[in-house]
Amino acid sequence: MRRAAALLYASWLTARSYRVQLLLSVVALVGMLIPLYFVANALQPMMASRIQGEGEQYFAFLLLGMISLQLAQAAMSAMPTALSGALGTGVLEALMATRARMSELLVGLSAYELCWTLVRCVALVAAGVVLGAQLEWSRVLPALLIVVLVVAAHVPFGLLGTAFMLAFRAQSPISRVLTLVSSFLGGVYYPTSVIPGWMGHVSQLIPLSYGLKALRAVWLDGASLGSVAAELRMLALMALVLGALGVALTSLALRHVRRVGGLTHL
Amino acid sequence: MSGLTFGENVVASLPRPQPLRRPEIPSPIVSVRGVVKRFPMRRGWREIARAPFARPVATVLHGIDLDVAPGELLGILGPNGAGKSTLFKILSTVLLPDSGTVRVDGIDAIADPVAVRRRLVPASIEDRSLFWRLSARENLLVYAALHDIPRAEARRRSDELLELVQLADAGTKLVNSFSSGMRQRLMIARALLARPQVLLLDEPTRSLDPISARTFRRFLRDVIVNEQRCTVLLATHSAEEAFDLADRVAVLDRGRLVATGRSEELVREIGDERYLVATRAPEHPMFAELERRGMSGAARRREAAADGWTMLELEIAGGADRAAAVLDALGGAGVPIARFERLQLSLADMLERIVARSAREDRHA
Repeated sequence: MRRAAALLYASWLTARSYRVQLLLSVVALVGMLIPLYFVANALQPMMASRIQGEGEQYFAFLLLGMISLQLAQAAMSAMPTALSGALGTGVLEALMATRARMSELLVGLSAYELCWTLVRCVALVAAGVVLGAQLEWSRVLPALLIVVLVVAAHVPFGLLGTAFMLAFRAQSPISRVLTLVSSFLGGVYYPTSVIPGWMGHVSQLIPLSYGLKALRAVWLDGASLGSVAAELRMLALMALVLGALGVALTSLALRHVRRVGGLTHL
Repeated sequence: MSGLTFGENVVASLPRPQPLRRPEIPSPIVSVRGVVKRFPMRRGWREIARAPFARPVATVLHGIDLDVAPGELLGILGPNGAGKSTLFKILSTVLLPDSGTVRVDGIDAIADPVAVRRRLVPASIEDRSLFWRLSARENLLVYAALHDIPRAEARRRSDELLELVQLADAGTKLVNSFSSGMRQRLMIARALLARPQVLLLDEPTRSLDPISARTFRRFLRDVIVNEQRCTVLLATHSAEEAFDLADRVAVLDRGRLVATGRSEELVREIGDERYLVATRAPEHPMFAELERRGMSGAARRREAAADGWTMLELEIAGGADRAAAVLDALGGAGVPIARFERLQLSLADMLERIVARSAREDRHA
C-alpha cells in the first residue's frame, strides 16, 4: 500500500508542478457545465416524462451521466496510459528494480489519474449544485457505493488494455470503443429506455447502463439500494468476471514480455 | 539481436571462440550457468505471408557461465550487440532466460525475483527514468518507499546519499535543472538506497564528458567499491575503462564469453605491445640493430610531422622492462627521441587477438 501511495504522491508532485495546467483542467470542466445547463433547461419539458424513475430534472440527469462517463473512462484508460508512459521513458524499468510487485506498480502509476478524475467529478457536482441540480443528499453514501461499483466494473477493461499494451506496445482499441458506445448507448445523455430496437439490446451489455440507472434512481429519486439490487448484481458480476479475465490476461502478457524483453525501455 | 557494429569485420571470418580461462570462485555472489537467450526476429509482412508459421529467432546469449566474487568490480567488455545489456536484464530479473540458471547470493533469480531485487540493483542510465519535475531528494524518498525503507531512515539515507554523490547542495532542486553528470550521480544514489550487495552499471559513462567520466570512475572505485563494499558489474565497450577500473574483465562477443581474467593478466597476455616513438632519425641504424638482436620488431613509419619529427611504431615484446631497455639503447646510440609511449589497445584489436588466440588453443587441443 505504501509503495502504491509513494507513486501516487510522485504523480501528484509532478502534476502540481504544472500549476496552470492543473487549474485549467478544473476550470474547463466546470466551464463546460454552463452551456449544458442551458441546453438541459431548454429540453426539460420534453425530457421530464422520459426520465421518470431516474429523477425528473434533466440537468441533474445529465450531470450524473457526465461524471459517470468521466469515471468510467478514467478507469479504462488510466492503467494502460500510465504503463505506456512508464515504458517509453524507462521509468518502469527503474521501478522494476525496486521491491515493489508489478501489481503495486500498476496500481500506483494509475492511481493518480483515477483520484484526479474523482476530484474533478466532485468539482463538477459542486458546480452543478450551485447551478441548481437537485440531488438527494441523504442518499450520498449509497450513491458513492454505486460509483465505486461503476469504477470496479470498468477497471477490468483497463486491465485488458494493459495486457494489450504489454503484449503489443500499442493502445488497445477496447477502451475507446467502449467509451464511444457507452456515451451513446449507456444512458449518459438520454435514458436507455428510449433506445430503439436491437441497439437497446446492445445497451444491456454495457456496464454504464446499469450503473447510471442505479445511480440516478438512488441519488436523484431517493430510491433504496434494494430497489436497484438487480443493477448492482449485474455490475458486481461484470466486475468479478471481467476482472478475473483481465488479471489472467495481464499476468499472461507480463510473462510473455518477460520472455521476449518488452518490459524494458526501447 | 542485430549484428556487430564495431569490430565485426575483424572477427567475422575467424573460428568460434571458447573462453580462455574460467577461474573458480569458491562462493560467488553472482553465479550464471549456461544462460541462453533467444529473441523472436521481427519479420516484414511479405515474409509473414510467405511462411506464416515460421518463428525465426536470434540467439543473443549462447550458454553464458560467469561467477562474480563478493566485493569484486567485474568489467563486462564487448562491442554493441555483444549481449551485455541482455545479460544485465536477466540478472535484474526483468527478462527471463530461455535456459540456464542465475543465482544471486544463492537465490534463484527466476524463482524468486523479488528476493533477488533486495540484493541486486541495476543503476539505470536512462535519465528519463527519473521524475524530472521532482527534486533530487523527493526522487530518492519515492524510491525509498518502494524499497520499504522506513520514513525516518529514508530521510536520513537520502541526505547521506546526496552527500555521497556530491549533490547535497542540489537536493531541493528539480531534476530537470540538472546536468547529465548530476542526473547520472542521482541515479547511482537511487540505486544505492537499498544498500544492494550487487550493483549493475550498464555503460555508465556513455553520456558523460571526459572530465565527468573520469570523476565518475574515481567515485565508482573509491566510494562504491572500496567504501560501500558493493560488488559491481560494469558493462562497457571501452577497453580502457574496463582495464583501468575492473579487478577482473569478462569479454563478451556475439553472445559468447570469449575471455575472463584479472585485468592486469589479460592486459599482459593480450594487451598491446606496440610503442609509438617520435624521433628525428627514423633511419638510424640502431632500429635495425634492435630488430636484429630480437629486442623489437621492425620499425614502421606512421607519419612525418612538419617540424621534422617522425612517428615510428615499434613492437616490443616483454613488457615494461624490455621497453625500458629499448629506450635506453636508443638513447645510448644518440637517437633523438621526443616521445615514447605504449599504444592503447582498442576493443577491436583486443577481440581480434582473443578470438585468434582461442582458435590457436583449439588447434593445439
